[in-house]
Amino acid sequence: MAHTQELRTLIARELPNLDLVLAWTGGFDPLSSTPLFITTEADLDRLAVGPMHVQNLAAYLPSLKGRKVGIVTRGCDSRTITELLQENLINRDEVVIFGIGCTGAVNIRKVRTAVNGAPVTDVEIGDDVLTVTTGEETHALRLQDVLMDKCYTCAGQAPRMHDHMVSERSGCLATGETPPSSLDLLEGMDARERFAFWEGHMDRCIRCYACRNACPLCVCKDSCVAQSRDPHWVDQSDTPREKLMFQAIHALHTAGRCTECGECERACPMGIPILAMKQALNRRIKHLFDYEAGMDQESTPPLFMFRQQEETIKERDAR
Amino acid sequence: MNIGVFVCHCGSNIAGTVDTEQVAQAARSFPEVAFATDTMYACSEPGQAGIIDAIREYGLDGVVVASCTPRMHEATFRKTIGRAGLNTYLFEMANIREHVSWIGKDKEANTNKAIDLVQIAVEKLRRNTALFSSEFEINKRVMVIGGGVAGIQAALDCADGGLEVVLVERESTIGGKMAKLDKTFPTVDCSSCILGPRMVDIAQHPNITLHAMAEVESVDGFVGNFDVKVRKKATYVDWEACTGCGQCMEKCPSRKAEDRFNEHVGTTTAINIPFPQAIPKKAVIDPGACIMLTKGKCGACAKLCPTQAIRFEQEDTVVQEQVGAIIAATGYDLFDFTLYGEYGGGRYPDVVTSMQYERMLSASGPTGGHLVRPSDGKEPKDIVFIQCVGSRDHSVNRPYCSGFCCMYTAKQTILTKDHIPDSQSYVFYMDIRSPGKLYDEFTRRAMEEYGAKYIRGRVSTIQPRNGRYVVKGADTLMGSPVEIEADLVVLAVGAEASRGAGALAEKLRISYDGYGFFMEGHPKLKPVETNTAGVYLAGSCQGPKDIPSSVAQGSAAASKVQALFSRDKLASDPQVSSVALQRCVGCAKCASTCPFGAIEMTEFRGMPKASVVETVCQGCGVCAVTCPQGAIQLQHFTDNQILAEVNALCPY
Amino acid sequence: MPVLEGKELRIVGFLCNWCSYGGADTAGVGRFAQPTDLRIIKLPCTGRVNPLFVVRAFLNGADGVLVSGCHPGDCHYTAGNFYARRRLEILRELLDVMGIQQERFHYTWVSASEGQKWKQVVSDFTARIHDLGPAAAFSGCPAVPIDMDETGIKAAG
Repeated sequence: MAHTQELRTLIARELPNLDLVLAWTGGFDPLSSTPLFITTEADLDRLAVGPMHVQNLAAYLPSLKGRKVGIVTRGCDSRTITELLQENLINRDEVVIFGIGCTGAVNIRKVRTAVNGAPVTDVEIGDDVLTVTTGEETHALRLQDVLMDKCYTCAGQAPRMHDHMVSERSGCLATGETPPSSLDLLEGMDARERFAFWEGHMDRCIRCYACRNACPLCVCKDSCVAQSRDPHWVDQSDTPREKLMFQAIHALHTAGRCTECGECERACPMGIPILAMKQALNRRIKHLFDYEAGMDQESTPPLFMFRQQEETIKERDAR
Repeated sequence: MNIGVFVCHCGSNIAGTVDTEQVAQAARSFPEVAFATDTMYACSEPGQAGIIDAIREYGLDGVVVASCTPRMHEATFRKTIGRAGLNTYLFEMANIREHVSWIGKDKEANTNKAIDLVQIAVEKLRRNTALFSSEFEINKRVMVIGGGVAGIQAALDCADGGLEVVLVERESTIGGKMAKLDKTFPTVDCSSCILGPRMVDIAQHPNITLHAMAEVESVDGFVGNFDVKVRKKATYVDWEACTGCGQCMEKCPSRKAEDRFNEHVGTTTAINIPFPQAIPKKAVIDPGACIMLTKGKCGACAKLCPTQAIRFEQEDTVVQEQVGAIIAATGYDLFDFTLYGEYGGGRYPDVVTSMQYERMLSASGPTGGHLVRPSDGKEPKDIVFIQCVGSRDHSVNRPYCSGFCCMYTAKQTILTKDHIPDSQSYVFYMDIRSPGKLYDEFTRRAMEEYGAKYIRGRVSTIQPRNGRYVVKGADTLMGSPVEIEADLVVLAVGAEASRGAGALAEKLRISYDGYGFFMEGHPKLKPVETNTAGVYLAGSCQGPKDIPSSVAQGSAAASKVQALFSRDKLASDPQVSSVALQRCVGCAKCASTCPFGAIEMTEFRGMPKASVVETVCQGCGVCAVTCPQGAIQLQHFTDNQILAEVNALCPY
Repeated sequence: MPVLEGKELRIVGFLCNWCSYGGADTAGVGRFAQPTDLRIIKLPCTGRVNPLFVVRAFLNGADGVLVSGCHPGDCHYTAGNFYARRRLEILRELLDVMGIQQERFHYTWVSASEGQKWKQVVSDFTARIHDLGPAAAFSGCPAVPIDMDETGIKAAG
């Protein structure tokens, strides 16, 4: 497609000045994708972009600090870059951003569920329809219904900052009424229902920590408190209690930092809607501190600062 | 660990509502508890001996005492186990008196609660580690910020004690508010006659370095080793050359400069020495009023100056001072009475503040010591004094009493009578507050000998009428309205925190209250200390004070510094944060949130790592919460210690 | 020790050493009678209160958690309670998101001289927790998670 070609040309021009460029390529079947690490022009042939190419490549940036890295970036992922810059986890002059206009990211799990897990042989993207072929059968899915939850709260398809921008294509494919998201479900519950909701999901958690490993803002790397004895925040019992404790740790560690890229949820092999916890918390943080993560490189995340007079915080009665 | 638990009866204070024997019994079942007993008075001589004996007999290496609040006896028991050879941090207290026996009557519930508190103490103690103080050298110089009477006293006392003193003053002369006063109560001494010699002492003392026209720009470091940057503002006069002869003032054509020293009663010359006894007696150019500096021509003073001291091109300079202690003596400012619309909001020329009145009374003041109405220069006959202007008034957020206004008003009524024998003073007051030696007698004299009429009640309005002012109020003792026609109205304006006090407090890292007054270390027992080690307070910066109290505090702060400096080395509190290098990922979030700037980013094998400056760290633990991987921990309050307490209380 | 059956609920307090712990002492010295449920953990500052201590307490079965420190502006460490205030506000929200009733958590400011206020805070908060009753525990038989069909995927057209 034309815009993929334009992106190839842009990257090829910059490649001599870069150690590598982060992009996507196709995965094991037409529905899947995988990150592509471009170091030579030959790699460019495998480059692919589109609604099926969904990983937040910014997650790789902190570990590449000190090297000159190009990155293909959509609107939501660029917020991660901003947040990483805010926290001095990466240097702006070491990163070259190739911006693309996002058209929505497909929730692969939803598609696989919709085709009952049958092996996918072909995928075609129409204007607002995703046509999935599984052997003999074809499924025409409304794109709007199979996007990632984060797309329904999208804050902008174009990156907030970029060095190069692919001109063609923008405008989300998702139009019309959105299906209820996990966030909507969660917000509609009372405390007891929520507690049961999380207990149910945590019971299914296999404690693989894929959510954490995928999170671009989990900077603790090998020092995560989930697996340490000093400090000993969680024990190793396979209970919803300990697993929910871990999710609380993750939510608080990313509070005011999480840009809702959704990698945690995408990476979860059990399909636990863990992004909803962060989205819900973020909504309240927005309400409390009028702050959204990854929007402004100059601002400070709300937990790393304070005001002597907090206009939005009212003292409460113990009664 | 071999833990010993000692459950104190405190006579019947605890044993009355807690079954102490049962608590000791329960304690024996807790992990690592090797010995537990109840004891009559743990803090008494035999009580402490019992602890030491048990340590030796049972080989204890950790002790829990369940008794009163640790705020009472933690230090006592730490010393006790120290005498028995244990590290003093292998100790915990369970507060079963203030938090249990004294607040609940139900013995079963109390005993159960006491057992819980002993258990969390044991769980914490199991994770305590021996902590050791480190020692560091003290720089035995002291900085005094503010050259009012409190700062002068502190500086002289320190200097006389042999310490090197750096005195920093914001204005071009020291003297502060006291230098502006005509007389002082209750002796009616001439203010500048008693302050003047002390100011001269400052100038001549070999141990004192004075930075006037200077402000503290930043404070780094910690007790014993502060590093202070002081900004010396441009004076446009070379003070090395200036002799203070004053010829420049005589010829300066710009006479529109604001006269801060005279409380804006009139204006003054652009180049100016505020008053004859100024220390240092050096001229300063007001750049906003100087014709040369605003329009680029004039230079009259430069032509005239016998020592060629004028430097129109001068700029601010920053000097660095290393000191071991700091005394803040920044004084107060006056309440802005224009907030009161009923007193004219500043529109009536003959409604003046008490400090303006003080300048008018002064022989070296703008009126040469003649009491005249600012509007027409006539001598006033009927003078109304209004008390509590900006004091004890919630409506202007000044609910506190400024303390000295009752007294200076009494003094001013006496001086008024001395200046104008046929005058009549009226004083509207709320209550007369005159505790202090000879103070109440003094106010009685104002009334009885000098005939000042005191009216208990507030003034509702001041209205100009035919060149005079109708002061309307209520006499609440008589229960009747009062109307007095006055030639001059003097407002007893209250004290408020010095402008910039909050900003200075932030630099010094000391607390200040909602009004900007600095917080003392303890309201009763640490009146001149702050909670930042090495920073002391003197005078009205802590709250409104009269001269003797300010002087007393100046001396008190000086003696605190002397005591601090009596040692050559200081021991640091070991309950500080420390970084586990292998866990630190160098994100610097801890450094960004530390209220004390105690965390530095360093490099370890090419990786960025946080590093705690132990002498700067105060042990608040903000960093430990900021660090997501728990790499930085507050010693004695580690995550694991607190989690152990939580887990003990909430075992699922 | 377990809570006294039928009499007490499990309430944990995190208090700063300089103000609120002193305020609780002052209440004791004044013999201001209080409910016996609360167990106090002393910390140097509310800035040391990791919100996760509170989460841990709730997940371990606490029925209420109270945090108290110096009034804003009076912090012994100048800024600890300013950080705490933000953290605890966000914690309040997280508890709600997790399905832990916000009412079970309270934070407040009590100075060392405010013994009377401390008594009031403890009495009021304990009464509130008793009104709420014991906190919901993990059921041990988790509900079936949301079926994917409920997410509303429809065939196009």
